[in-house]
Amino acid sequence: MKPDTPVPLRVLWNAFFWTYERATWQYDLMVIAILAFVWLTPPDWLNDPMASGSGPVGWLLERLRP
Amino acid sequence: MTFTGLVGRICLYPLELIIKTCVALRIHPNVLTFVGVLINILAAWALGLGKFVLAGVIMLVANIFDYIDGKVAHEMNAVSAFGGFWDSVIDRFSDLALFIGLIYLYSSLHRTEYVIVTALAMMFAIMTSYTRARAESLIKKCKVGFMERPERIVLFMIGAFTNRMAAVMWVILVLSVFTVADRIIYTYRELRDAPKQAIA
Repeated sequence: MKPDTPVPLRVLWNAFFWTYERATWQYDLMVIAILAFVWLTPPDWLNDPMASGSGPVGWLLERLRP
Repeated sequence: MTFTGLVGRICLYPLELIIKTCVALRIHPNVLTFVGVLINILAAWALGLGKFVLAGVIMLVANIFDYIDGKVAHEMNAVSAFGGFWDSVIDRFSDLALFIGLIYLYSSLHRTEYVIVTALAMMFAIMTSYTRARAESLIKKCKVGFMERPERIVLFMIGAFTNRMAAVMWVILVLSVFTVADRIIYTYRELRDAPKQAIA
């Protein structure tokens, strides 16, 4: 990657082309992102065959609805 | 210290006790590896029946065996080339067993889309291991990409214990595709930059 590449592109490339070790802050960040996706995504959005409901995100969206 | 580093350290204490017990009982590490795959097959059976919490507990036990075999080999001075090879081969069987359990479950529920997602996740999980093994026959090291076996196993357990296996399958699929791509790109670059080191 060229040195003058914009930061967002650099971040995206580094997330895709993963070279970080375990127990680094980048690894922790990735773990948080994965857990957020797994636990916060409503099972209904994914048509989960074994779970149903709208999950925490759905619950929050319902509360925010006027 | 990072969060994941702290979790690793906390888990290490009970594991060290188990390792010491195995060393004291002179249990051969290759036996531990084999017991691990047998327990993983049980976990696959539980996954196939949709008993996710039970599967999670069994996976936890199986992966204790998986983790300690190498450490026990070190402690017993029983590290061997065959032990490493045996461990890698048996690990693939453990991986495949878990995916097949899920494929059986989704097919029995007539959820073709998740049969495909799980089958693709299985394919790329195996390709993750294959690309590294093949790359390391050509270059010194090819340890790039996020989704390796420990991450996959922990995700399987999280999915089982919290009943979020569908989301977990998507994560394993997408990140395994990236990991395989990373390894191909990395190997290409290494071979391009040092063409004389390449072996046919």
